[in-house]
Amino acid sequence: MKIRFARVALAATLLVFGSAAWAGDHVFDSSFDDHAEGPWSDADAARFLTQATFGPTLDEIARLRRMGYNAWLADQAAQPASHERSYMEDQAAAGLDVYQNSRQEAWWLHAINGPDQLRQRIAFALSELFVVSDQNGDIEGQPIATAAYYDLLVDNAFGNYRSLLEQVTLSPVMGHYLSMFKNRKPDALENIRPDENYAREIMQLFSIGLLRLNADGTLLMSAGQPVPTYNQDTIRGFAHVFTGWNWANCPRTDGGQWWEWEWCPPGPVDWPDPGWNASWFLPMQAWESYHASAEDKQLLDYPGVSLPSGLLAGGGSAASDLSAALDNIFQHPNVGPFIARHLIKRLVTSNPSPAYIGRVAARFANNGLGVRGDLGATVRAVLMDAEARQLPSLAGNAGKLREPLLRQSHLWRAMHAASNDGRYREWYADYYLGQAALRSPTVFNFFLPDYSPPGELSNLGLSAPEFQITTDTTVASVANALDSKTFWAWRGNPWMDPEDVVIDLDAELAFANDPVRLIDRYDLLFMSRTMSSSMFNILVSHVQGMDNADTDDRRQRVQDAIWLIQTSPEYAIER
Amino acid sequence: MKRRDFIQRALCATASSALFTGFAGKLALAHAAAGSGRQLLGNSYRALVCVYLYGGNDAFNMLVPRSTAEYNQYAAARGALALPAANLLALNPSVAPIGGASFGLNPAMPLLRDLFNQTQSPLAIAANVGPLLYPITKAEYEAGSVPVPKQLFSHSDQSVTWLQTRADAPDRRGWGGRLADMFHASNANQQLSMNISIDGENVFQAGDAVFPYFVGENGAEGVDAVQPWNADRRAAFLALRDAAHGNALQRQYASVMRRSMNNETMINDALDAETALATQFPDTRLGRQLRMIARLINVRGALQMQRQIFYVGLGGFDTHDNQLGTQAEQLAELDAALAAFHAATIEMSVANAVTTFTASEFGRTTSVNGDGTDHGWGSHHLIMGGAVNGRRIYGIPPNLSVEGPDDAGWGQIIPTTAVDQYAATIARWYGVPPGDMSTVFPNLGRFATPDLGFMASS
Repeated sequence: MKIRFARVALAATLLVFGSAAWAGDHVFDSSFDDHAEGPWSDADAARFLTQATFGPTLDEIARLRRMGYNAWLADQAAQPASHERSYMEDQAAAGLDVYQNSRQEAWWLHAINGPDQLRQRIAFALSELFVVSDQNGDIEGQPIATAAYYDLLVDNAFGNYRSLLEQVTLSPVMGHYLSMFKNRKPDALENIRPDENYAREIMQLFSIGLLRLNADGTLLMSAGQPVPTYNQDTIRGFAHVFTGWNWANCPRTDGGQWWEWEWCPPGPVDWPDPGWNASWFLPMQAWESYHASAEDKQLLDYPGVSLPSGLLAGGGSAASDLSAALDNIFQHPNVGPFIARHLIKRLVTSNPSPAYIGRVAARFANNGLGVRGDLGATVRAVLMDAEARQLPSLAGNAGKLREPLLRQSHLWRAMHAASNDGRYREWYADYYLGQAALRSPTVFNFFLPDYSPPGELSNLGLSAPEFQITTDTTVASVANALDSKTFWAWRGNPWMDPEDVVIDLDAELAFANDPVRLIDRYDLLFMSRTMSSSMFNILVSHVQGMDNADTDDRRQRVQDAIWLIQTSPEYAIER
Repeated sequence: MKRRDFIQRALCATASSALFTGFAGKLALAHAAAGSGRQLLGNSYRALVCVYLYGGNDAFNMLVPRSTAEYNQYAAARGALALPAANLLALNPSVAPIGGASFGLNPAMPLLRDLFNQTQSPLAIAANVGPLLYPITKAEYEAGSVPVPKQLFSHSDQSVTWLQTRADAPDRRGWGGRLADMFHASNANQQLSMNISIDGENVFQAGDAVFPYFVGENGAEGVDAVQPWNADRRAAFLALRDAAHGNALQRQYASVMRRSMNNETMINDALDAETALATQFPDTRLGRQLRMIARLINVRGALQMQRQIFYVGLGGFDTHDNQLGTQAEQLAELDAALAAFHAATIEMSVANAVTTFTASEFGRTTSVNGDGTDHGWGSHHLIMGGAVNGRRIYGIPPNLSVEGPDDAGWGQIIPTTAVDQYAATIARWYGVPPGDMSTVFPNLGRFATPDLGFMASS
């Protein structure tokens, strides 16, 4: 009780000081939502930053409190995008060998230090929707093009979904991953018909899903049964649409000969001259001679569909068919709730209420200016919703399991991790975290949005996607990764090499004398002050029981506190 | 709830709560379980190994007709992807398959060809298996007069359908999980799950009472920072882990951590004391996974396991393009790893007690999209083990001709055998009594042949 009391008193002091730097003056637009005038406390700020960035820092908490949510969001929207491709090209220009390693370096650099945190966080969420993976051999061999694909997500994080969908579709990286590249019109003689891969996944995974949804994301039922969004005829219709796309700038004699289609190179010069793979960075281009123009194409049919019964008449060009088909998807009523659900699950909670999904989906349908598909407005609706901003009760089972990558980025941001030369040689996080950017095993991402582990959660009807990669093996390997990054990889440890990424504990040592202040500091930084009093007391008494004679002792106190928090169930579940 | 079910659930609930971690606890549980009756089937060990081929293996280029008429149908459908007849590895079955055609294996599979062709063969093939709700003809499919599983041709959904076999009923359990719910009381060790996966989370092994346990290719991983040398930190860690958590997600995380730590010690102690196997496994993803399974079977005595179900997986079968090259590599990996695993079961004298089988969400279209194939429906599968009546192709090999009687359209081949029949044949050997078969496979009665005959009598 005594410890608990001390903590409450401290929190009250912080609150008083904090209120001097109140943010309200900077609010310029609170018409959308009631919560935008905050944050009202450091805890609110930390919680928001946990959802909107790769992890709060004390500096950013203070900055957000000075600015207020609206100004902070406006500032983030105005930040120039940090790009992976340029980072890698700089490395290549400096004579380094550039593999997918280098792309992971860029990802970590931007996650830890990028000023455009919100943009990067949304791009990461989009990378778990519009999935490509360097586990695929074609992609693996093109690390800079993979980075350019990620940059495309970064650049469109606050853009329009329809435009993003088209850019993704015409990306040669996606073209190779889901085999729309060089997909060709049917040839009855050879029993060849268009590849269905992209046709299927763009609908199932990138836009609408398999079943019709109500505006709030619940299943639409007809005679007690869910209603499929499409059938095999629709798949074939879209498969025909997505034909006739090859590298940009193919040589074409008289509109293109078959050997030119077949052997078109990815660049104007031969490997390894610079530019040999230039077309990996350009949208794919259409060949009418390989496009299935003649056939009528069954596209999606839904209430209000603009094509009659969803049927696209034959005779279109590759580009006009593509445009019509993407419009047909974009206008489907599922897209709003589908995207809303994805973003809410990646940023806020695994089990949002239908009303929350409905509110975000409504903002997707209309950003307030009559525009559909505004991702910036949608992101704002996700973050500023009452259900995101109010701390949910424990018993309501709200929250989500933190993704392993976000646990590590959280530690590294909070503790200012860096190497001597500024590089983040975090090349194989997937080995111990089970996750790395654009490295999922399949197009189904690291986990499915509706995954529910057997046992209590599925009995309660709760989804918990991140548990799909939380196995008996990874639960230990993640704890061990955090162990080495806390107990070993700290600045000043003589066993570390200059190129190792190390956390900076120097500023922490001053708190080691006072376990209550130490744990309170970490309650804010790591748990947005959601730590239970029993957890608080366990940690304080553990740290109090540790030696405190010299710097090494004090560092160990800090390290124990950090690691025990980072591996605790209360921390693992972000509320 | 039946009394047996009640006891089994109660056992699992307590076993996972770390109360019964000692040997005395296991013994007490074994005695309690013995009271629950008939699923304790004497002393014989039995294990199933599900080899999941992610992405949909193109089994129509794994098992290919060699007789002229059937080969010509195949070649006409497959065009540029047709394997040359001369390259096929001829199979020499002891009984001609239905239809009388002769078949060969993909040239990447010489070791499995040898296993198939040997006398006392441990390798059988089940032809054209797939998810069905009822037997169905092409006319019925086209007319929509007979229900079919929902979301056919989708990876995620058809995978679930395959592994649950209950597309028309709400049941989140896989058939491996349903078997485990039935049999796990046979194991004296009630702390370690009867279902172990080397390839992470899967639908197949999820039961009501039994949840799969996951190990890595090299064994179980422990939490380094809380080893006994740091008793204080360990105590704090355990206090945080085992607190009364107010949120169900927190409880789930705590329970995974608890299970992981409890089982890690047990498994690694057993593996450390193992007499090493002489059998060499290929150093491939599947080879390493099957090697770990062989090692776990090798220490089954120390682990006090009587009934086990294992799961491994190999990705990369979704050959929308570059199929010829990609699939050859995949099948070569499968060939070498399965052959090594079978050799290891012989070395351990458990070949008759271990049955390995393939699963995959669908076969692929017989039609071609240029250099690859798309999502199909029915597919051929392999069953391997000393208790397999090998050197035979079971079921009905489909007609592969374009727009032929088994072509649902665009070369999606309608299954002639349901996954329920395939699974039930394995389950019967595993020990499911005839009276319980309809509990495990409620739709089985819809199909004329509930037992395909590829397993020896139990």
